Amino acid sequence: MMSAATPELTSRRIAAVEAAPRKRRITGTSVLVGGFLLLTCLAMLSPIIWTAASVTKPTDVAFLNPPVFVWQPTFDTFVDLWQTTNFYQYVINTLVVAVISTVLALVLGLPAAYALSRAPGWISTVLLVVALVFRALPRFAVVLPMYDIARSVGLYDTTFALALALVAINQPFTIWLLRNFFADIPDTLDEAAMMDGCTRFQVLRRVMIPLMGPGILTAGIFVFLFAFQEYLTATILTDVNARTVPVFIATQLGQTLPMLQQAGAAAVLFTIPAIAFAFIAQKYIVAGLNAGSVKG
Amino acid sequence: MRKREYWALVAPSLVVMVSLLAIPLYRTIEWSLQRVNYGDPGTFIGLQNYTTALSDARFQRAVVFTVGLTLVVTAILLVLGYLLATAVNRLRRMRPLVLGLLLLAYVIPGLVGATMFSWLFDSNFGGPVNYFIAQLTGQDLLWFTDTWPNRVVLVLNIVWFLLPFAMLVILAGLQSVNPEVLEAAKIDGAGPFRLHWNVIIPSVRGVIGFVILISLMDVVRIFDPLVALSPQAAAIGNESIMFYIYSVAFKDGGQQLGLGSAINVLLIIIIGILLIPSIRATAREGSR
Repeated sequence: MMSAATPELTSRRIAAVEAAPRKRRITGTSVLVGGFLLLTCLAMLSPIIWTAASVTKPTDVAFLNPPVFVWQPTFDTFVDLWQTTNFYQYVINTLVVAVISTVLALVLGLPAAYALSRAPGWISTVLLVVALVFRALPRFAVVLPMYDIARSVGLYDTTFALALALVAINQPFTIWLLRNFFADIPDTLDEAAMMDGCTRFQVLRRVMIPLMGPGILTAGIFVFLFAFQEYLTATILTDVNARTVPVFIATQLGQTLPMLQQAGAAAVLFTIPAIAFAFIAQKYIVAGLNAGSVKG
Repeated sequence: MRKREYWALVAPSLVVMVSLLAIPLYRTIEWSLQRVNYGDPGTFIGLQNYTTALSDARFQRAVVFTVGLTLVVTAILLVLGYLLATAVNRLRRMRPLVLGLLLLAYVIPGLVGATMFSWLFDSNFGGPVNYFIAQLTGQDLLWFTDTWPNRVVLVLNIVWFLLPFAMLVILAGLQSVNPEVLEAAKIDGAGPFRLHWNVIIPSVRGVIGFVILISLMDVVRIFDPLVALSPQAAAIGNESIMFYIYSVAFKDGGQQLGLGSAINVLLIIIIGILLIPSIRATAREGSR
C-alpha cells in the first residue's frame, strides 16, 4: 500500500536542485562564467579569510595600519580566549538554547502543520495568515515585553527563557515550512491508513512522521541555525549567566586590542561549525529555501 | 478531519504563539499609549507617543534611511542573485562545492559576519580594503564615521549575507523553466539577452517575487549589522528604524519605552502593507 514512491515525493525538491545539466564543451562563455564565479566566491569568503588571518597574527600587529601581510602564525589568541574569558560557558549556552528550541519547535510544530495541511478551510487560512504576519513582526515588538515579563517572573538571564522565546519567534516559520512538506504527501495515504483502523494521531505518528524524515530534518536544521545565529533576542533576554556567543562577541567589540582579537578568535571558532553546516546540511538548506518559496 | 482532532493537533503550537507572541504584542500596543518604564504600570497618555514619533526629526531620518537602504539592497540582490544563479546553473561537478562556499555567508550569524566585515574596511583595524584604496587613490576613507562610506559598507554587508539566499531561490526557479520553451526560443533566433529578458525572467516571476518580499522584510527590520558596522549610526544619519527603537526603548534603560513601542507599532503597519500581496495569495489558496 505504501509504495517506495512516496518518500520520493518529499525528497523530490531536494533531488531536483542537485540535478546536473547536460555536458558542455569548454567555450568562451564557460571561461567567463567560471571567472565570475571564482571572483564572487573570493569576495564572499574575503571577510572570513581576513579574520582568520588577523587572529593568527601576534597581537601587536593584528590590527596594525597599514596591514601586515607576512607574519609568523600563532595560536596564542585562542589560548587567551579560552583562559581569560568564559567562552566555554557561552558556547555551552548557545548549544543548550539551540538544542532545546529545536526540539520544542518540532514537537509543537509537527502536529499543527499536519492539521493545517490536511484541513483546508477558513480557520486554517486565518491561522496561516496570522502566522505569516507574526513571522514578519519586528523582533522588538515581542522581545521587549518578553524582557519585562521574564524579569517579573524571575526567568531573565536563563537559557530556558531564551530558548522558549526563540521557539515562539520561530514557530510561524516552522509551521509554514512543515506544512509545505506535508502538502507533498498525498492524503490518500491518510485515508488508507484510517481505513485500516488508525486514528488521526496514529496516522501522524506511524505514517506521516516516518515519511517526513527529510522535511523534519530540514525544519530542524533551520530552527537550529536561527537559534545559533540569534543576536537581538539574546542580547535583550540575557545578561552574564545565559550569554550566548554572538552577544559575547558584540560586548568585546567596544574593547581594546587583546579583547578585540579574542572576539575575532571567537568568531573564527564559531564559524567552523557553520562551515561544516554549509557543506553537510547543504541539500536540506537548499530544500528548505525552496519549500519556503513555493508557497511564499 | 474532525473538529476535535483538529484543535487537539493545533492547540500546543497555538498556546505558545498566543502566550509568547500575541500577548507580548498586545503589551507593546498598550505601552505605545502610555508613559511607562519596565516593571512600571504606566500612565495612559493617548496618542501622544505617536505624535512625538511622527514629528521627531530623528525618526524621520531613520525612516528615510531604512527605506532607501531597503530599495538599494533589494535591487542589487535581484541583479546579482540572478546573474549568480544563472552562472551556478551551468555547473555540474563543481556545484556542491560552489554552493557550499556561497552558503557560508548565509549560515554565519549576522553579527559575526558584520564584525568580520568591519575589520576588512576600517583603518583602525588595519583593513586591507581601506589600505588598497589608499594606495590607489591616496584617500583615507572613514568607513565608520563618514555617512556615505559607512552606507557603502552597510549595503555590502547586507548584500553579502542575503545574496546566497536570493541566489538559491532564483536557482530553484531557473531549474523549473521548461527546456523545450528555451529550445523553441533559440530556434526562433532569440539571442542570450532576449532569451533571459523575454523568456526566462517572466517564467521565474514567482521566485523573484519571493526574493523581493523576503528582502524587503529583512532589510526594513535590519539591526544586527549596525551594531558592529555603525556604532555612531545616529550621529551620521545611518540609523535604521530598529536601531532607533533599541536606543530609545532599551539602551538608555527604557526611559522612552512608550515612544519606542509606538514606533514598533508604526513599523508593524509598514510591514503589514508590504505583506498585502502575500496575505492575499495565502487567502486565495486557502479558499480554493
